[in-house]
Amino acid sequence: MNLLFPLSPLLVTGFGALLLMLTEAFGTPRVRAAAGEEVVDAGAGRSGELALGAAVVLLAGAVLSVAVWLAGPAASPELKLLEPWLVFDGVALFMSFVLCLGGAFTALLAGGYLPEHQIDRGEFFPLLILATLGAQVLSASGDLLMLFVGLETMSLAVYAMIGLRRGSARAVEAALKYFLLGSFAAALMLFGGALLYGATGHTDLRGIGQAVASIGQPESTVNAGLVLLGLTLNLVGLAFKVSAVPFHMWTPDAYEGAPTPTTTFMAVAVKTAAFAILMRLLLTSFGDERAMSWGAGWPPVLALLAIVTMTVANLIAGRQESVKRMLAYSSIAHAGYVLIGLVATMRSPIEGQASVMVYLLTYTVSTAGAFGALILCGSRGAEAVSYDDLAGIGRRHPAAALVFTLFLLSLAGMPPTAGFFGKLYIFRAAIDSELYWLTVLGLLNSLVAAYYYLRVIVSMYFREPAPGAPVATPMRSGLVTGALVLAAFLVLAIGLAPATPLAMALGSLTGG
Amino acid sequence: MLELYLPMFLMFAVALGLCCVFFFGGQLLGEKKPSPGKLQPFECGNDSDGAQNMKMSVKFYLTAILFVVFDIEVVFIYPWATLFKGLGWVGFATMLTFIGALIVALAYVWKKGALEWEN
Repeated sequence: MNLLFPLSPLLVTGFGALLLMLTEAFGTPRVRAAAGEEVVDAGAGRSGELALGAAVVLLAGAVLSVAVWLAGPAASPELKLLEPWLVFDGVALFMSFVLCLGGAFTALLAGGYLPEHQIDRGEFFPLLILATLGAQVLSASGDLLMLFVGLETMSLAVYAMIGLRRGSARAVEAALKYFLLGSFAAALMLFGGALLYGATGHTDLRGIGQAVASIGQPESTVNAGLVLLGLTLNLVGLAFKVSAVPFHMWTPDAYEGAPTPTTTFMAVAVKTAAFAILMRLLLTSFGDERAMSWGAGWPPVLALLAIVTMTVANLIAGRQESVKRMLAYSSIAHAGYVLIGLVATMRSPIEGQASVMVYLLTYTVSTAGAFGALILCGSRGAEAVSYDDLAGIGRRHPAAALVFTLFLLSLAGMPPTAGFFGKLYIFRAAIDSELYWLTVLGLLNSLVAAYYYLRVIVSMYFREPAPGAPVATPMRSGLVTGALVLAAFLVLAIGLAPATPLAMALGSLTGG
Repeated sequence: MLELYLPMFLMFAVALGLCCVFFFGGQLLGEKKPSPGKLQPFECGNDSDGAQNMKMSVKFYLTAILFVVFDIEVVFIYPWATLFKGLGWVGFATMLTFIGALIVALAYVWKKGALEWEN
């Protein structure tokens, strides 16, 4: 029974969600109903305390992930009992930390955003924790069936979180779009998984890997065509979840229509979990020499995806007028950079994986911060939507503008922020793998991206609102402020001491 | 092996053929005298009423979803019951946790009023 401690990151989120569900349902509503009306929803009006509860649960999950990581998964031989279904190794714990962190940011932001915009529904918080739990399971799964369970736990909760604002046609459209395309992607992955099982006789990733490695040997009975089709379908399904071009069509609409905290969660945690399992799937099941070679394996496909994703997303992002939509395209572009890191695993597997892990961490804190700053800059009726809405914020609300600037610089990859080192490690791993042209393309794209991030800063500091134009007014919320302070601290801390996360990522891979 | 299924396929072919004969035979050979009453869609002999894409109350979907959630538990409990002795106390504790989570869900659903049909 010594599984309790090593599994505590999952247990805390699982039981925390149940507890919060009960708290939400059985608490007393804070909103007094208008005369003659009955308050049906006990969670209404309590977003603040529910958000705090959810943030505490998720931060506890993050802290426990680090604690178990420090103790070393190797110190708990009981964890082997869960293999091959759940592989709770160093990488999974690192990802669990990043996911819980992203979830905690979302909880704090939602605690301010939902009451401000009068979608004060308590269901959001249990759903958020359950989605994080699904993401943790997804990133730790070592079996196709477990992978699917994690994927659906995460996705189902997110569908509901998008459609939270039931009266808004935009939100319903976003939820329906994400639901239909998400189910389609899940169906493709199921079919791909079935083909892999049919070809190899295994559902666990390691077993599939052994069977795939035997292709080409005279005694092998594995059908290479089926394996290829299965891998392709799984790649398409996960490319949808990480919103790589050309599977990104849903992203801008879903991100824009969803409440901004949900957008944060989708950009941060959903993407991180999908990348984590993509990395595990590729390196466990398709990690043999042939499958990872440039001539006969998956690296050129991912390299092409990376180029198209970065270029298309950056070019379209520059043309957006809505800041939220720009951030949506920016998150697509960042998926392209992570794909470069995945390609780099072909020749330097350890450095490549570590760079992806560090990048996901820096991307999580910067993106959560940027969306948080956007939330902070707009109150109800005076929301910050376009660049023009942000004009003059720098003079009127210097603190809000300053943190927004910090996160945008981090997303653009300027030193001394976290984003700089995320990109640095990715490109260094790519150079180590002799992918010079891919590195050059990535650098060029970073330059293009700097244009639209700097445009926000220019609007905030060097523009004045046109006379009579609506002006965005920052909202007041301790929870949002807390989230931003935490994110800003992490962005600067990682930027000033980048060796620590890199050492942690490398340690997760080498077991040291 | 396959000849085992031959009677079934034969039966299938005969049924399909007979339907085709009735349907197309009537169209080809019969006399047609359309009248407004005859051209109405057939709805159990009554006058048809309303559009076909009428709105269903969302309550039906809620009930259906709740049924699925609590019905699926049998899928997990049944295999556990067949291996009850072998799984021992660990299995028992696991199943208790699972049922505990379901009870929490039931309490939630109840308190939220999802089980009330009226209202």
